[in-house]
Amino acid sequence: MSDTNYSAPAAIAVEDRLYRALAVLRVVVTVNAVGLNIFRRDNFDHPNWAVVVIGCMLAWTAFAIWAYAERSRRVLALLVADLALAATALLLTPLVKGEGFNATIPGYWVMVVVLAWALHWRWVGGLIASTVITVSDVSIRSDFSQTNYGNLFLLMIGGPIVGYMTQQVQRMAVERDRAERAAAAADERARLARVVHDGVLQVLALVQRRGAEIGGETAELGRLAGEQEVALRTLIRRHDAGLRELPEAVTLDLAEQLDLLEGHRPPHVNVATPGTSVVVPAHVGTELLAVARACLDNVARHVGEDASAWVLLEDLGDTVVVTVRDDGPGIPSGRLEQAARDGRLGVAESIQGRMRDLGGTADLSTGSFGTEWELTVPR
Amino acid sequence: MVVDDHPMWRDAVERDLQAAGLEVVGVAANGQEALARFPAARPNVVVLDLQIPAPNGVEVTAEIVRQDPSVRVLILSASGEQSDVLDAVKAGATGYLVKSASREELLTAVRRVSQGDTVFTPGLAGLVLGEYRRLSDGPEKTDDGTPQLTERETEVLKMVAKGMSYKQIAERLVLSHRTVQNHVQNTLRKLQLHNRVQLTRYAIEQGLDADDD
Repeated sequence: MSDTNYSAPAAIAVEDRLYRALAVLRVVVTVNAVGLNIFRRDNFDHPNWAVVVIGCMLAWTAFAIWAYAERSRRVLALLVADLALAATALLLTPLVKGEGFNATIPGYWVMVVVLAWALHWRWVGGLIASTVITVSDVSIRSDFSQTNYGNLFLLMIGGPIVGYMTQQVQRMAVERDRAERAAAAADERARLARVVHDGVLQVLALVQRRGAEIGGETAELGRLAGEQEVALRTLIRRHDAGLRELPEAVTLDLAEQLDLLEGHRPPHVNVATPGTSVVVPAHVGTELLAVARACLDNVARHVGEDASAWVLLEDLGDTVVVTVRDDGPGIPSGRLEQAARDGRLGVAESIQGRMRDLGGTADLSTGSFGTEWELTVPR
Repeated sequence: MVVDDHPMWRDAVERDLQAAGLEVVGVAANGQEALARFPAARPNVVVLDLQIPAPNGVEVTAEIVRQDPSVRVLILSASGEQSDVLDAVKAGATGYLVKSASREELLTAVRRVSQGDTVFTPGLAGLVLGEYRRLSDGPEKTDDGTPQLTERETEVLKMVAKGMSYKQIAERLVLSHRTVQNHVQNTLRKLQLHNRVQLTRYAIEQGLDADDD
């Protein structure tokens, strides 16, 4: 906490605002002090001196409101003078009112100097000022009542507390200022990165396209460019998702995870998602992804390394459906049943078993359109 | 007309289109140029990159479709910013292709779009499906203006998202090729119509139509 720079603009802005509030409080306690003294004017041994003391308090209040308003005027001398004057006003009370008085001349007016010190020098300032006022008050009293004790006790804890809170508010203001700056810089960097990334993506796509057309070694170059294009696009999408909000570790965004499969080979995978996050519990998501991968591996094994596969993610509200389809010749009817009868637990059985464990289903359809696994899990 | 801020891409696409016997009536490097040249060039098809200097591809799509409802917009996008693609489609684009598509795919897409067909990638079909689900789950569920897919349309769109060709879909559902095409087109048309209604409603609410009187 010591590394907070209290002369940072954000910290000073906080101090300025608090002193403006204190100026209002100053007026309130001054009006209160003057009013009470007029009400109890018969208690004074030397009424003329009382008028002089109260006049000084009024003049000082006006001056202090002006002086505290500006950071450059809040110097040591001002705060010391403020405290000295408040203590003097207290100490003069027995001389003006005579021994055995009840209320001091300034009364609650002394609280503002404690707060002024607390705002400027934080909890240390609050503690010093409240100690000075308390000692002054105790020294002039011939008898010490419970009420006096209560008032002084509140003052003693109020000073440091207000000081401490000022410190915390200033610290937060400085931190927020720093964070806002960092966020602005990050936004700008992200904007620049987007422009650069788009340019890079364009070039990679172009190399891929032209490479394929020229053929030969250039085609290989094009294929590499294509892979990098997919990798970069995925990275950007993941980054954007991360900027939006990091989901808790107990959940997983299926859309984002499935997007990572795009361009994966073999087989050549094509991913379609709803375009927004599809958040599921982490263990469900991980298992579902593993099953989808198993389906894809199966495609590569049975249809071929050059096969194409499509993955579709749907969020139906109460269920999440992942479909994996390939463009192969399909599975001849009876083949799966035959495998099961032979006691071989094929891939199909393993996929269905894993989905059952998740409380979901795995439906297989096959035909001239290829083979399609529809993996459904409840939310 | 080809709109792309990347000169190499612009030239490559232009060259491919010309080599295939198509006439390129104009090119533009940014949104402003595109809007300035569009009225004079009067293209049938605009091949549009989404990431162009302002106004962006979505705004350009909305504006040129407003000026000439018969124009066809084919989005050719590198980064595949999903929400942008969806916005462009809602604004009136009828085709979407990623830049990594081959020359043949591009030419086929341009031809099909020019014939009034819609060109869906599986990715776009997934987005559109997701958009309809979001609309029906949204707070305006009771609003009878919210577009909804028929069961058949959902079925067809799902198959497109699973990478099936119209021909395969037609076979699997025992429909004609044309019917499948119509179903797919309807899904976009409803979304575009809804978008226009929303914009108009917004304009009326904001008092933007006040200069009529």
